Amino acid sequence: MGRRLPQAFFALSMLALVLLIAAVWQSSTPSWKTYQRKFFQLEAQEEPNAVTKAAVLATPPEIHQILLPGLQRVDRCTTCHLGVDDPTMKNAPEPFRYHAGLGPHIPSKFGCTICHGGQGLATDVKAAHGNVPFWQDPLLSKDYIRASCGRCHKEGDVPGVPELTEGRRLFETEGCHGCHKLNGVGGSIGPDLTEEGASHRSPEWLERHFLAPNLVSVGSAMPNFHFTREQARALTYYMLSLTNGEMGTYYSSDLLIPSPEYGRQLFVQKDCIVCHSIGGVGAKVGPDLLGVTKRHSSEWLDEQLINPQLVYPGSSMPEYDLETNARKALVAFMSTATPEDAQEILARRGNALTPEDVAIVAGKEDFARFGCAGCHGTELQGGVPNPNAQGGQVPSLLHLSDDYTKDEVIAIIRDGKVPPLDNAAGPTPPLYMPSWKHLLSDEDIHQLVDFLWSKQQKEKEGW
Amino acid sequence: MNRGAKGMNRRAFLSWGTAGFVALCSGVAVSFGAVVRFLVPSVFYEPPQSFKIGDPADYPFGPPTFLADEKIYVFRSREKGFAVASAVCTHLGCTVAYFPSDQKFHCPCHGSVFARDGDVLHGPAPRPLQWFEVTMARDGQLRVDKDKGVPDSYRLMV
Amino acid sequence: MNLIREVWQSIVRRDPLSTDKGKSELVFLNVWLHIHPAKVKKENLRFRYTFYLGFITFFLFLILLTTGIALMCYYRPYPPVAYQDMKDLQFVVFMGPFLRAMHRWAAHAMVVCVFLHMCRVFYTASYKKPRQFNWVIGVLLLLLTLGLSFTGYLLPWDQLAYWAITVGTNIGGYAPIVGGQLKELLLGGHTVGEAALIRFYVLHVAVLPSLLILLTIVHFWRIRKDGGLSRPLWKLKPEKAEALVTIGAPVEVASLKTVATSKDKTYGLMEVVTGKPIFETITPEEEDDAVFSYPYAFFREAIALMVTVTGIMAMSLFFHAPLEELANPAKTPNPAKAPWYFLGLQELVSHSALLGGVVAPALMVFILLAIPYFDRNPSRRPSDRKWAIWLFTMFVVVNLVLIVIGTFFRGPGWAFVPPWVHVVARAE
Repeated sequence: MGRRLPQAFFALSMLALVLLIAAVWQSSTPSWKTYQRKFFQLEAQEEPNAVTKAAVLATPPEIHQILLPGLQRVDRCTTCHLGVDDPTMKNAPEPFRYHAGLGPHIPSKFGCTICHGGQGLATDVKAAHGNVPFWQDPLLSKDYIRASCGRCHKEGDVPGVPELTEGRRLFETEGCHGCHKLNGVGGSIGPDLTEEGASHRSPEWLERHFLAPNLVSVGSAMPNFHFTREQARALTYYMLSLTNGEMGTYYSSDLLIPSPEYGRQLFVQKDCIVCHSIGGVGAKVGPDLLGVTKRHSSEWLDEQLINPQLVYPGSSMPEYDLETNARKALVAFMSTATPEDAQEILARRGNALTPEDVAIVAGKEDFARFGCAGCHGTELQGGVPNPNAQGGQVPSLLHLSDDYTKDEVIAIIRDGKVPPLDNAAGPTPPLYMPSWKHLLSDEDIHQLVDFLWSKQQKEKEGW
Repeated sequence: MNRGAKGMNRRAFLSWGTAGFVALCSGVAVSFGAVVRFLVPSVFYEPPQSFKIGDPADYPFGPPTFLADEKIYVFRSREKGFAVASAVCTHLGCTVAYFPSDQKFHCPCHGSVFARDGDVLHGPAPRPLQWFEVTMARDGQLRVDKDKGVPDSYRLMV
Repeated sequence: MNLIREVWQSIVRRDPLSTDKGKSELVFLNVWLHIHPAKVKKENLRFRYTFYLGFITFFLFLILLTTGIALMCYYRPYPPVAYQDMKDLQFVVFMGPFLRAMHRWAAHAMVVCVFLHMCRVFYTASYKKPRQFNWVIGVLLLLLTLGLSFTGYLLPWDQLAYWAITVGTNIGGYAPIVGGQLKELLLGGHTVGEAALIRFYVLHVAVLPSLLILLTIVHFWRIRKDGGLSRPLWKLKPEKAEALVTIGAPVEVASLKTVATSKDKTYGLMEVVTGKPIFETITPEEEDDAVFSYPYAFFREAIALMVTVTGIMAMSLFFHAPLEELANPAKTPNPAKAPWYFLGLQELVSHSALLGGVVAPALMVFILLAIPYFDRNPSRRPSDRKWAIWLFTMFVVVNLVLIVIGTFFRGPGWAFVPPWVHVVARAE
């Protein structure tokens, strides 16, 4: 056999040994160890004497992990970002700098990725910052980071983030619900936005999309709402906050105490005084609310706010899509509300209450809630371009009574309507009236039509 | 020169043989080391052993403060500063309760009784309660490290 | 000193390896090595005859066993912690990426090598009598290897895994009558979910490896009983070829001829009964053709092992196993492709579900299994088997072409898009 075979075997075995050592070496020298070493050197500089210096420098490198079962994540950012909770590192170079201004949101309870994005499971820079293929939640840039507050703080005003409140307001008033579903409410012409924050579309894309939908999403039926830069940003913030986060109890609404002041704001916003009274002051359609929290448990009241029909079948109280916190705030307000509060609210309102108001207010609520304004305009003026539809645009609703009877309008809302084509050979118009019979009860539709009729303008006569 | 059956003299054979043997041993050692290191977990899916427990000012003097999640008792005294003891009975692991009335720790499971300094007074517990290292973190909070046991005389003066 | 010698000799009980007796005893007194014959024919050692593919496949399996068991320490088969554990292997576990890469590349290599080994066995006609059933076992081993690769593919629980297995099980679902049931049994449900993952895991780490090992044992055993590793017998002189005998082959009533013996040989009961050595008549002249397994065969095997191991290690140092994003049942990647060894099948299915997905592969497997029995040509000489060789080559080429098309020439919507045309994916 000669020497060839044993020599070859020996050589290959040496190669295997070398490769094994290379693999062990590769695994023993991850980049995070270098960062940790640098940090310990920084820390050692501040130590007063040689003994403590040596002790700090001798700290064994290890991966630091923040376990966050309530947020369903694991964050390892602090493996390199070691100075994040150390005020003496205020002026240290990144990644060791102290993170000021966190308030109660300390890293050990919240981690980092819930606000910043990125890949918490990773331990090398590029992967951790999420700028790698197949990770679609990269670090949010400074411009958008405050949008993350909305992931947990879904109601009321969030201090320091007026964009969220503005974005939410714009969404409700500009009629986005007309084409987009959010939490089950809305039309189906555009995509469902309930979890838009988790869709991994970049903030820059969202903002560009609000400014010019058709440029970004070619062929989209979404009209250009001519938002200003600030409005587009506010809406982007709101979109980014729409994640479905099922937070553990530590993070859920339980800890956020809803205030009676917020409840009062909601009471006014939803015009509850149109049906209810407090201590005799107000309308008599629904029950008086003075002391209601003593007569019923908070669970009962909560249920009543979620689904009035369940508790009182046939009740004319509409369903309001209120979040947990909002409902708690309303109940909190009711526990403290006095007839004087009702007096003040009535006075602010101005017009006297009439029986028709009940239906009209309910219809107005539905008009806003289901986003009719998105196509028909906040002032019912119509005008949204609808290529190849007769008239070329979504019709105004201010002159409905000239062309239709109430029953006809009710039928249109129930069953929907495809607009007649301008040019029969041309493409179908992108916008159409959806059928709402699955989302609106007959009573709701009647109330909507009452509202519309209350807004009708008499046609100008003559030339 | 005496060339043996393989056509190599003894010296060459010995030097090749030694090199081979050394390589084999180092290969085995590296492999064994790598396997052991592989099996040791790098991260634990448990609450951390070293954690902060808040500002010193939050802790009253007198009877120790019980932290349920971390299962420790935090002692604070004007003369002696801070000390942290484990609330886990050394017998079979139940959580002991401190009674200010007799200044002792009582274990509900099998009746062990520990003195204020952790010594076993009574019952089946084999060892005194464990004391943990408590230090001052850089942001002014107290840091407890359950991986570092200390004698019962250890104190952190603040 | 004497004590050490005593301890050593109680463990190693053979004669020194410098003697012929010692060389023989190394083989047949050692439980791990005694599957080998004490002596092998020189031709058996020729690299260019077998390329050692069988050995390489087996060594790859050993690599997969060891790396697989190591990986099991850090993997939980429940979505979505499965994906988190893959990330942990990538970022946190010591040598995690390396082990995972070794496992993945060895798996791909094993599929390739088992296929190449089958081709080699066909081209050398080593499936002919009396080795027909060993070929059948080999085909079963091929199917088990594909099954192991397929079940392992799901475990990372990323988009690639989820959809590849969705496509793969749907192809299986096309089988007539039993297809639907089979798919439900495999998935433990109607779609790929928790139940599927745990079932695939059990198959991958317990059931299929056990079956593979059991069949491998039979496969190796049969090689010995069939006369050792195959060699080009047509090159032997006719008298020698005729004198070969195998266990179970029809033979005239054994006449107890005395056989020329060699003083270093031991004889077992079988040989006394048949009057001939276990599987061959070895004449003293022929003894020259045989060499001791140690060191001739063993060093070659060891080198094959080292080449395999260092090759996979080198691959793993430079190329890490891929991991896509978390499996998302609501989002199908476009196109959704089965693992590469099933892409030929997926290509066929795209033309016809029944013909392509059920009939063609069933026919392929059936024909493969039946080759040794269809082939009535007793000759193993290549020049006598032109048709067989041509047909088999066509089979291989067609399979390769289908896989290449499925891999490189199919884009979104399974449209035929050559790889040099750059398809721009939509922004979302």
